[in-house]
Order: sequence, then structure tokens, then C-alpha cells
Amino acid sequence: MASPSWRAWLVAALALVAAAGCAHEPPVQPWQREHLAKRAMRFDADPTEDHFRQHWFGAREGADLGFGQPGGGCGCN
Amino acid sequence: MILAALGLCVVGMEARGADQVTIRGAYYREPSTRVIQPVVDIQKDLPHGFDIDAHYLVDAITSASAAAGTTKDSIFTEIRNEVGLGVGKNWDRTRATLGYRYSAESDYWSHGLGGSLAGRFWGDTATVALSMGLSLDTMSSRDRPAPECAVAPHGYCTLNSYFAGLSYTQVLSPTWVAQVDGEVAYLDGFQGNLYRLVPGRGYEKPPSERLRDAVAGRIATYFPSSATGLQLHYRFYWDLYPGQQPSDPWLIRAHTIEARVYQKLSRSLEVRLLYRQHFQNHAAFWCDITVNPSCYQAGVLPLPYTSADPKLGPIHTEYPEVKLLWDADRLRTVPFLRWFSAATFEISYGYYVQSDSFGSAHVLQAGATMPY
Repeated sequence: MASPSWRAWLVAALALVAAAGCAHEPPVQPWQREHLAKRAMRFDADPTEDHFRQHWFGAREGADLGFGQPGGGCGCN
Repeated sequence: MILAALGLCVVGMEARGADQVTIRGAYYREPSTRVIQPVVDIQKDLPHGFDIDAHYLVDAITSASAAAGTTKDSIFTEIRNEVGLGVGKNWDRTRATLGYRYSAESDYWSHGLGGSLAGRFWGDTATVALSMGLSLDTMSSRDRPAPECAVAPHGYCTLNSYFAGLSYTQVLSPTWVAQVDGEVAYLDGFQGNLYRLVPGRGYEKPPSERLRDAVAGRIATYFPSSATGLQLHYRFYWDLYPGQQPSDPWLIRAHTIEARVYQKLSRSLEVRLLYRQHFQNHAAFWCDITVNPSCYQAGVLPLPYTSADPKLGPIHTEYPEVKLLWDADRLRTVPFLRWFSAATFEISYGYYVQSDSFGSAHVLQAGATMPY
């Protein structure tokens, strides 16, 4: 079922993981994480907002994957 | 992203650290549709590395359906209820989650089940997460004869969807984080609206199978000297009908870019500016029947499908938004209100510009998250 582009993406991701593992020192030590905890540095800081956005964009754009809009009888999607 | 969309907040890639309740409301207003959505979400840590999450939301949708392509310009209100329950478990650097979501309205019912497995490594600077889910939907129509998609003996149509996603997040430095992810979904069943009419062609007939794919990249950075954060997102989407090449009826391609700027205005007040743009072409089987009334006549499009759904057409949307977030520390010394001093309040306003017949929309959201 996977398309060639999907497999290429998967290989690239695994290569990135492997490359990361080859390095000896992680790029950030525990005492350097002060800013990483900030809201601006998190991609999943607000899941309830993401939930609303998924439903909204799924109803108004054709590029959602279809899981954000459980509903359809209202005629608005 | 898949599981957040399923409403399973518990399955975030990061372990939860606190018991908290989130109350949130959204108001969406465009020329023909108004949506009011209150939601409450509760998270609770449990012994032995477990945590649970439960949410309940209501969608109150008032719509005049003409803009959606139907021929009757009648105003109606539809209520959708959704509940979700999830459980997570942490082992050292691994997190696993499982969640369930049920959504119901008068003519559409959906069961969603999802799970994820995430692992942190390389000094906790890298996270790989795999998520999977499925959604089993059932729909009926109130005021039309049994549609072609109806399954005997009940006369309901179905839509089964299967999802998978893989993401890799890497901390690059004390002030840089990057993420790449890929998602794929296979949908099998009725993927349109049972009430939507195509003028002169009867009820719409969208293709019944669809393979939807997306890859995305995100990067975030923080400037300590000015207390400014910046995020850039890019997403590419494509879809197809498995086994229908070269006469594929889908073939939507979409690009979405989004920029976010976070700026601390004081120790407890932060503003977030957001700007998003979305571009997509139309599905191969779709045509603008309002502009070209004969485009679905036999021989013009060599496909047996029809739809008047604006979101399957060529779309360009823009969305600027401003959001204020306030950590309510100052309430610590105020009698009674000190109970809310650990809460974060937020309010946002955005304007959603759409190039299709839906028109532009005002979007107002407000919420509060409070530990307990």
C-alpha cells in the first residue's frame, strides 16, 4: 500500500536516527534545557487547540487526513 | 497529530507531569455557518507511571446549507457530542498510550481507537514516535431515499478509516528543536455528504477509496535576549485512489505553511502571533459546476463521480491570528481568586480568509488550564 515517496521518507527518517546515534555527545546537556520547556519550543503544547483546528480545517480544506472530522450530516463539511 | 485529532490528548509524545483540567470554548462564524464548541478535558496522573485523560465536547453547528452546495437554503442546527478516554504508561524513556473516542450526532456516529509508542534516546534529545488509529463511522440520511452506499438491512452508509504516523523530534541546541513526520490514511466508504446535491446530477457520488499522505517539517527556536520564540511549519499533502492510476479521481496536492511568533510581554503575559497559508489544487473528478454547468455531463469528465463540495476544489486560505496567554501568578495574593493562581488563561482571535464559496470567517477562542 505504501507509495515510493512514503518509503523514501521512511528511509530518510531512519537514516537520520542512525546518524544521530553515531555521535557520542548529545547536543544538549540536562542543565541546558531551560528554554526547551517553554511553550514556544513545543510542537504539542496545546492538544485541545490542535483538536479544534483539525476539525475545522478538515471541514474546510481537502488536505486533512480525514480523522479530524467525525461528523458530516450537518451539510457543513 | 493523529491522536490529538482523535481527541486523545493523553497520547502526547511527552509524559504528563501534572493533574490538570482544561476548559475551552471556540466560536466560528462565517456567512452561512456558525459553530460553538465548548470542551472540557481532565488529566490525572496515577501510580506506577500511568495517567489518564478524559474529554467531553459539544459542537453546536447552525448552518444555511446553500454555501455547501445543496439546493435548499434552509437554516438548521445540529448538535454533535463527543467523549474520549485515554490511558498512558511511562517506562523510563518509553511512553505508550491507548485511547478511544466516540462522536454522535443525529445522523452520524463515529468510533475512534488510537495508540502510540514513543521512545526518547541520545540523552533525551531525540524522540521517535509511532502512532496508529482507526475510525469506524456510520451515517444515515433523514430526507432522501436510501443512498447507493447504504448497506442492507439498516440502510446506513459506512466509512472505515485507518491511520498511521511516524515522527522524529530532535533537540539541536539549547535553543533549537526540529521535527519531521509523515502520516498516511486509508479511507474506505462514503466520503461525501449524504445531503449535498450536484445541480442537475442528483446527490453527489465521491470515490469510495482514498489513500491520503502527508509529510511535514517543523522547527522552533528561542531568543533568550528578547524572550522571543519562533516556529515555522511546512506540510505537503497528496492523495490517490489505490489501483486507479492513471485515471485517478483524487490527485489533490496541497502545501501548508505556518509561522508562529511567541513574545513575552511581561513575566506572566505572552502573545502569540500566527499566520497560516494553505494552497491546494482540485480533485481530478471535481469541477466547478456553478461556473461550468455542463462539466459533469457525459463525456466531459471521463469519471463516474460527482461532487459540489467546495473543499475538493482549488483553494487558497489565509489565517492570521493573535493570542494572549496569561499565567495567573498575580492572583496568589487575592482572596478567593488565589485558587486560580496556578492557572493559565488564553484568548485568541483570528480571521480565516477562504477563496471558495464558504466565504471568510471570524474565529474566537478562549480557555483556561488549571492544575488541581
